[in-house]
Amino acid sequence: MLLEVRDIHVHYGKIAALKGVTLEVEEGEIVTLIGANGAGKTTTLKSISGLRPLTSGRIVFDGTDISKLQGHKRVLAGIGQAPEGRGIFPGMTVQENLLMGAYARKGTFREELDEVYELFPRLSERRTQFGGTMSGGEQQMLAIGRALMTNPKVLLLDEPSMGLAPMLVAQIFEIVREINQRGTTVLLVEQNAMQALQLAHRAYVLESGRVVKAADASGLLDDPEVRAAYLGGDLGVD
Amino acid sequence: MDNFLGQFGPATVGGLAIGSIYALVALGYTMVYGVLRLINFAHSEVFTIGGFAAVGVFLMVGVSAPVGGFALIGLLLLTVLVAMAASGGTALLLEQVAYRPLRKHGSSRLAALISAIGASLFLQELIKLVIIPHVFGQSNGAIQLQNMPRVIDKTPLFSIGNAPIRLDHVIIVVAAVIMMVLLDRLVNGTRVGRGIRATAQDPEAAVLMGVNIDKVVRTTFLLGGAMAGVAGVLYLLYFENLDYRVGFVVGIKAFTAAVLGGIGNLRGALLGGFVLGLVESWSSIFLGAEWSEVTAFVVLVLVLMFRPTGILGESLQRARA
Ligand SMILES: Nc1ncnc2c1ncn2[C@@H]1O[C@H](COP(=O)(O)OP(=O)(O)OP(=O)(O)O)[C@@H](O)[C@H]1O
Ligand SMILES: [Mg+2]
Repeated sequence: MLLEVRDIHVHYGKIAALKGVTLEVEEGEIVTLIGANGAGKTTTLKSISGLRPLTSGRIVFDGTDISKLQGHKRVLAGIGQAPEGRGIFPGMTVQENLLMGAYARKGTFREELDEVYELFPRLSERRTQFGGTMSGGEQQMLAIGRALMTNPKVLLLDEPSMGLAPMLVAQIFEIVREINQRGTTVLLVEQNAMQALQLAHRAYVLESGRVVKAADASGLLDDPEVRAAYLGGDLGVD
Repeated sequence: MDNFLGQFGPATVGGLAIGSIYALVALGYTMVYGVLRLINFAHSEVFTIGGFAAVGVFLMVGVSAPVGGFALIGLLLLTVLVAMAASGGTALLLEQVAYRPLRKHGSSRLAALISAIGASLFLQELIKLVIIPHVFGQSNGAIQLQNMPRVIDKTPLFSIGNAPIRLDHVIIVVAAVIMMVLLDRLVNGTRVGRGIRATAQDPEAAVLMGVNIDKVVRTTFLLGGAMAGVAGVLYLLYFENLDYRVGFVVGIKAFTAAVLGGIGNLRGALLGGFVLGLVESWSSIFLGAEWSEVTAFVVLVLVLMFRPTGILGESLQRARA
């Protein structure tokens, strides 16, 4: 098991955002985490990246307990994230943003940079443009590319489709598939449940800080409750 | 008007000198603000400590007359290094004791500001009650360098128009510009600087890149403190006196300079420092030097009223700097 989240509880002040979340990600998988607004998806990813401390529970990554490991050290351990809202450094150029992904690493990163530019030709055309002046879709590509530059074993993606036109969403999802096929494990948080379930191998449904369903993604696509709650009733599924 | 024209040149030279000092101190306010969104109120005392460290060096070396040539260069280098260490060390300690515990606790920014004011008062009293009487053996709350020989000869070297230029003017402006260039290089051209800029622009994203925020914060305090230490030395060379409160007035003016340039923006702080120094100096031709404090506050209030984002407008967040 590459990533194991064991019964974690996380609080903002006195408010409990996660009330016992357990999930697992196997090497090579795409796992998706779906749920309504405020369910705790972002908090789960932040906890895995060490941005929020755990009140209780454990996170085990690649065989080691990282529950107490500082956030910046988890990057070197192999956890990369493209956060909600993208978190682009607005005053840095595209290339500087990408190189920030290699900040913690010593040695060469030429290869990774070339690979990111190959994956996102749009970024390559705009190397010297400031991050803050990029369009939403471009920023999302930059956020994913930057996370890839950390050379992650698992890539955490927090709503990469947010605010994007349908065509662009399809394109981003296609790239996520490509990244996975090249060998990176993916944990994908999505509102866009339909497309996420079509892409992922397995899925978890989060509700008010708890996992209420865990199943194969294809199974959840046919689950009447999930269809009613997250897939807009009986929208056609192919 | 004749009066004004006659004094314009000298006032400009003086304004540039004092503006250099404001600019160096302003860098510390603006860097810490950029990274932590905190106004480090005690930065003024970090500056004061630099001045006192310089006095310590002069006394220790036993300067008995103005020095020149290589001796002066050596003395100034030594003094600047000691002052940078003293001020930088104080700033680090301040961060450790007064700010970090609150930050780790997730306290509000108001709590941090109050802690900053407390730390500022504490350091003032420490200088007044411990450092001045026990380290320097004086109990009058002031160290007047009048009873010490001058370190730098203050006769004019040459004139530009009707403005006589002295060696201390040259040293102050040159030293300040060197420090600013070094800092700019560091922030925009090194890995450490990339960490600082990333943290200022988006702290959470910076952590996701593997940036150690605690280390960035420490570095920021250290750098800002070191700049203030240099400013303390330059202040001493220029005014030749110090008391435990000098930091207060210089600090407020440097803070004004930082706001004037756009707080969080390094180049803005430099610009703000020079603009404030010049405005203050020119206005004192009409109003008299005793009104210069008023000028600074009027500028601060006007900026806050009409252009709260400062001249350069953008913060460290957005700016390349
Ligand atoms: N900084 C914060 N301070 C206080 N409460 C917070 C904070 N961030 C999140 N919360 C609360 O924690 C709960 C979970 O939030 P979270 O952002 O993880 O939800 P989410 O599933 O990502 O939602 P969305 O789909 O809208 O992004 C919510 O009730 C939210 O109000
Ligand atoms: Mg979210």
